[in-house]
Amino acid sequence: MSEPQLVPLNAIFSTDFVEILVPVTTANTMDEVAAAVAHHSEGRRVRALPYPKVVVHNGRALPGDLTVGDAGIQPLDHVAVEYDTTGASS
Amino acid sequence: MTLLKREEWQDFVRDVDWTLSYVDEEAAFPEWFSGTGKVPREAWLKWEEDYKVSYQEYVYTQREKETSTYAVKAALSRSTTFDHLDEGWKSSTKMHFGGVAQVEYTAVLAELKMARFGLNGAWRNMATFGQLDELRHNALTTYFGHEFVVKDPQYDWTQKAYTTNDWVPISLRTLFDGIMTTSNVVDCALQVPLAFETGFTNLQFVALSADALESGDINFANMISSIQTDEARHSQQGVATLEILVEHDPVRAQWVIDKGFWGSARAFAALTGPSMDYYTPVEHRKQSYREFMEEWIVDQFVRTIEDYGLKKPWFWDEFMRGLDTWHHSLHMGMWWWRPTLWWKPKAGVSKDERDWLREKYPNWETVYGDKWDVIIDNINNNNVEATLPETLPYLCSTCHLPCCNPTQSRDGSWRIRNKSLSYSGRTYHFCSNGCRQIWWKDRDNVNHQTLVDRFLAGAIQPMTVEGILGYMGMTPEVMGDDPDYTAWTKDYVGREATGLVQVGGAS
Repeated sequence: MSEPQLVPLNAIFSTDFVEILVPVTTANTMDEVAAAVAHHSEGRRVRALPYPKVVVHNGRALPGDLTVGDAGIQPLDHVAVEYDTTGASS
Repeated sequence: MTLLKREEWQDFVRDVDWTLSYVDEEAAFPEWFSGTGKVPREAWLKWEEDYKVSYQEYVYTQREKETSTYAVKAALSRSTTFDHLDEGWKSSTKMHFGGVAQVEYTAVLAELKMARFGLNGAWRNMATFGQLDELRHNALTTYFGHEFVVKDPQYDWTQKAYTTNDWVPISLRTLFDGIMTTSNVVDCALQVPLAFETGFTNLQFVALSADALESGDINFANMISSIQTDEARHSQQGVATLEILVEHDPVRAQWVIDKGFWGSARAFAALTGPSMDYYTPVEHRKQSYREFMEEWIVDQFVRTIEDYGLKKPWFWDEFMRGLDTWHHSLHMGMWWWRPTLWWKPKAGVSKDERDWLREKYPNWETVYGDKWDVIIDNINNNNVEATLPETLPYLCSTCHLPCCNPTQSRDGSWRIRNKSLSYSGRTYHFCSNGCRQIWWKDRDNVNHQTLVDRFLAGAIQPMTVEGILGYMGMTPEVMGDDPDYTAWTKDYVGREATGLVQVGGAS
């Protein structure tokens, strides 16, 4: 199995005001990518909400256990991390 | 002997030109410097400035200006005026000194280029005066800023800023190397004297002068007013050049002016917007940034280009919408990444200040209020550490400012929408459609790497926040911080706050 490769991303968290640089690796899962992006915004500029987070890449919401490598996310790609409110009661 | 009156001799001398015999035209005025393009060489014979000046008159007037500017400075240096200025206002001046003083020297080089390669003798004369103007501005701004170094080390960046690898000067160098250093003289005249000086310097010099007087900083107002009187003269080169270019190549004229306007608009949103709408004490603000832009830039610019048969730039709607967002986002970004600044950015979001922002910008609360509220709640919960940066903002490949321009969707929500393109196997990101379009058309002429590009290429070591600050030339005694957290957070003490992160020693 090859070593994980560094994948720097252009990322935005939910309603935040700025895209940021977030380094991840090909071995990181989407749940880990979401946490890495949220780390810089959630509870700092964007109020934390009690919902799971989902990574959106090229308009597709990706499963939490999918890795960066398997998702085909390339260095410098853009990802958005959103709160997944589909399971929330209305 | 009686001297001739000016009007009796000036027509003979103002556009004296050489009849070349030892070299050909291309050797003396190479295309890559002179940039005549589709304009026949003889068409430049018609180049004419509206307001004519002789060297004698120039020297006389400039001497008077210098005498009075330095007299005011000398008188005020004995007073305690500076010590009583608001920290927010002082930051406006630090930003101005560092962001402008050495750019004036780059403008000397641009004027010298036109003084040598301009395609008409009258143009070269006007540019000769222009380079003397810019040299004066470089000296004045550097000297006025230098006076305060003993009182506050951040003023040292008056001279230092422009040559550092701080992200703000990299952004400025990208703009000014594009329009001043690397352009041919025709494009230079359209982008610098026309788009930049006729329009935008009013913003920094007239608007900021008014705010300076209101804030009690007579010395600063005196300095920039004196500079602005020069701009009004040498900026004539723009319209005189446009008149000829537009007749022979209107498509080029439109594109070059549009590009110069866009780049200037981005830079001034960063430099002047926060000064006018956040740093200047609310009781001393004359107009909002948007109001000033509409009155002094938008109306005048559109009138000028339409007079010459050109259209509003293709990006006009995006630019106008940006008057409500660009500088607010950049202010939040500069405040968040405050350790990278050579001034003390005050947040300026107390209840009174927010009332003013809401009145001037009806969408402000919707777009920015929620983010500032989380920041405020963190500070009031002894959690300042949570408001300090741990990564870089993603910087636009064209303007090198953070990608932070929100747009509104049909459902009314405001979001940052990614604008990128792929070229030669690489992905580039942009803050706006305007920047993306300019990069695409100018992609073979890109002259600086963004700080993010440098970081990813391994040019910044160690790859940590400390490494980045070191690369920028930031030292602890200069590093920016909010001058008074309490001033804008005390209105909100005691309110319930949920959804905050806990960092460091926060309770």
